[in-house]
Amino acid sequence: MSVLLDHLPEFWEGLVVTLQLTAASFAGAAVLGLVVTSMRVSPVAVLRGIGTAYVETFQNLPLLVLLVLAVFGLPEIGIKADLLVTAVVVIAVYEAAYIAEALRSGVNAVSAGQGEAARALGLTFGQSLRHVVLPQALRTVIQPLGNVFIALTMNTSLAAAVGVVDLTAAANRVNLIEAQPIPIFVGAGLAYALVAACVGLVTGRLERRLVTAG
Amino acid sequence: MSDLLFDAPGPRARRRIRIATVVGTVVILGLLALAVRQFAAAGQLDPERWQPYATWPMWRYLLGGLWSTVLAAVVAAALAMAAGLALALGRLSRCRWVRLPAAAYIEAVRTIPALLLVYVVLFALPRYGVDLPLFWKLVVPLAVSNAAAFAGVFRAGILSVDKGQGEAGLAVGLTHGQTMRMIVLPQAARRVLPSIVSQSVGLLKDTSLGFVVSYAELLYSGKVLAAYNGLLIQTYIVVALVYLAINGSLSKLARVLETRTQETRAAAADRSRRSTARA
Amino acid sequence: MVVSMKRVAAVAAVSMIGLSACSGTGSGSPAVPGETGGAAEGAGVLAKAPVAAAADILPGSTMEKIKQRGELIVGGSLDAPLLSQQNPVTGEVEGFDADMGKALATYIIGEPKVKIVNSASETREALLSNGTVDVVFQTYTITPERAEQVAFAGPYYSSGLTIAVKKGTTGIAKPEDLNGKTVIAGANTPAIPAIKKLAPQAEIVTFGSDPECIQALKQDRGVAYVQDETLLIADAQKDPAVEVVGSPFTTDPYGIGLKHGDDQFKKFVNDWLKKTQSAGVWQGIWKNSIGTVVQGEAPAPPQIGSVPGS
Repeated sequence: MSVLLDHLPEFWEGLVVTLQLTAASFAGAAVLGLVVTSMRVSPVAVLRGIGTAYVETFQNLPLLVLLVLAVFGLPEIGIKADLLVTAVVVIAVYEAAYIAEALRSGVNAVSAGQGEAARALGLTFGQSLRHVVLPQALRTVIQPLGNVFIALTMNTSLAAAVGVVDLTAAANRVNLIEAQPIPIFVGAGLAYALVAACVGLVTGRLERRLVTAG
Repeated sequence: MSDLLFDAPGPRARRRIRIATVVGTVVILGLLALAVRQFAAAGQLDPERWQPYATWPMWRYLLGGLWSTVLAAVVAAALAMAAGLALALGRLSRCRWVRLPAAAYIEAVRTIPALLLVYVVLFALPRYGVDLPLFWKLVVPLAVSNAAAFAGVFRAGILSVDKGQGEAGLAVGLTHGQTMRMIVLPQAARRVLPSIVSQSVGLLKDTSLGFVVSYAELLYSGKVLAAYNGLLIQTYIVVALVYLAINGSLSKLARVLETRTQETRAAAADRSRRSTARA
Repeated sequence: MVVSMKRVAAVAAVSMIGLSACSGTGSGSPAVPGETGGAAEGAGVLAKAPVAAAADILPGSTMEKIKQRGELIVGGSLDAPLLSQQNPVTGEVEGFDADMGKALATYIIGEPKVKIVNSASETREALLSNGTVDVVFQTYTITPERAEQVAFAGPYYSSGLTIAVKKGTTGIAKPEDLNGKTVIAGANTPAIPAIKKLAPQAEIVTFGSDPECIQALKQDRGVAYVQDETLLIADAQKDPAVEVVGSPFTTDPYGIGLKHGDDQFKKFVNDWLKKTQSAGVWQGIWKNSIGTVVQGEAPAPPQIGSVPGS
């Protein structure tokens, strides 16, 4: 246990980076996922095609491959960003595919009459999506979205492979000095579990509130 | 649902859509061309940087890596599915001493990164005398972490089977176990098949963690190749394309299975409706 | 984000050694496969490799076990050019470490029959102590700390860390110049503690493999790249955008890792090493591997047993 206390600053810095990675990429993924979902249910066939291709591509590539390609490939086409920023963007783009998939199943779960009613009232596509369908879809997908969020938190650990010093990298570095893997990795695992548990708590409460509100 | 959100576009809307499509396509193609030009200017498109990947030995090596990937994925999936089924049944058990540990496992493992589990097997276990062969260093953590995910899938499948089915089974004198085995599980299995396939895609992607333990799977083979020929970006692009091809086919399979189950269920529902009407 | 960047940098500076199982050794073979030709020449050198007298294979010893098995199991790498790199064309593992393993196999068995267990550098001690591998040839630097867990024969080669920069960079000639700068290092390589010691104010950023580190250097992720000299010479030769500055600032004696406490086998391997060197086989192996990028004749091999821990 003393290993953890001795290296508390390193673990803390790593945890902060992990939280930044998680929060920033989830925000990005949520926005992007919403856009992709709207594309997939839009009247324009081309947009639907692009949305589907997006989800297909990013669900079928390992995140690690994407991270390495982005970190070393993007500078070659003139886009060079900080390692942490690159990691955030890549994780956001990757997880957006999963959010879009979750949201779409939510949209499909909203009863058909809702969409028809919205149209009958004269709402446009955007309006009916914004005011009628998505709010109801969100309510049913809070649990799946929570799962995506937890998976995203876990996936941020891969940023360690491209030079970002997150909690996993910090744990690994401390282990290479101290060589006490059990307390170090258990400690790091508990920290991840704690973050994930907070997410679970928040989504659980949200779900109950929204469901009773509906 | 998706086609109920809008009317079929009229002539003016169609024209607008067409214009927007053309403009959008031009903008995207322009950006793409710019990117490719930059890429070429950086020398990344030089033929000699791609030539190795037009030769058979490079592909033979990559396919060898792919084979290891598939092997690890299949073994890990088999283990994770077996454990997942046991966990799902445990979680639904009526006995608290079975239900609680199963639930605890599922919730706990779900919140630990697979990479961290790999580290435990890689660094921690050897210090306690457990040094697994390379293959198992990858497969064990993957199976441990995916078991929880598969348990979730199976549980959802079992719960989705109509309650009346289980009750009917019990009513005709089957035990709880028999009902599960003969009535509920077969129906659940059919329903969860698509989710199982897509979870397996996730597992196949997770085998890229073999990179960390030096297990010679596809991504690690890419690393060895890049060290051999120094073509980092080209190698990773090729590796990405291979993953895309394999996982794309698997995802396609999942979709086909999904529509098929939906069709069978729709047909079954249709049949039962008709027979009720007749009665 | 600006604040966070500073944090990342701070963490990089205070912490040590990056991710994972990458041996962190590098690139240096030609882009066109099959051009090395090391295998054929290697076989030529190995044909001259000494074979132990039957009396040297003591009954009940580790070497007898290996001879009966008909195969030497070596802990090593597949992605370390010039040292232990798998040739995707032939499937053979080539390089200095790989050929030394084959020479040892020839000495024990009479044929260069080797099975390489691709090992992560963190698990080598465990692989040796539980008998998964017979020996480790993997840029295994002899240290007194490691010698408490494993036995080292040799040293059989001595190398050192040096600095590479993008061509045209000025103001970097020695490790102290790295203070206050961002420095690239292979994850989990000896470069990291060395930088921390000699340039404590340097920010270290780590990547998993040598090609990645070179790419990162060329893309200005750091101003310098610290790595084993041989690998950097090979990199600079292949890539005109990279140059090596200064001379090695550390001495890393590489040992042959053996099971701790197996003194009989250690003496046997040290005897083999002496014979290999006096027969000129060591020099031939060097010429075929490291000698393809380093000018001149093979250096004098390090004195066996000259390092604390060996």
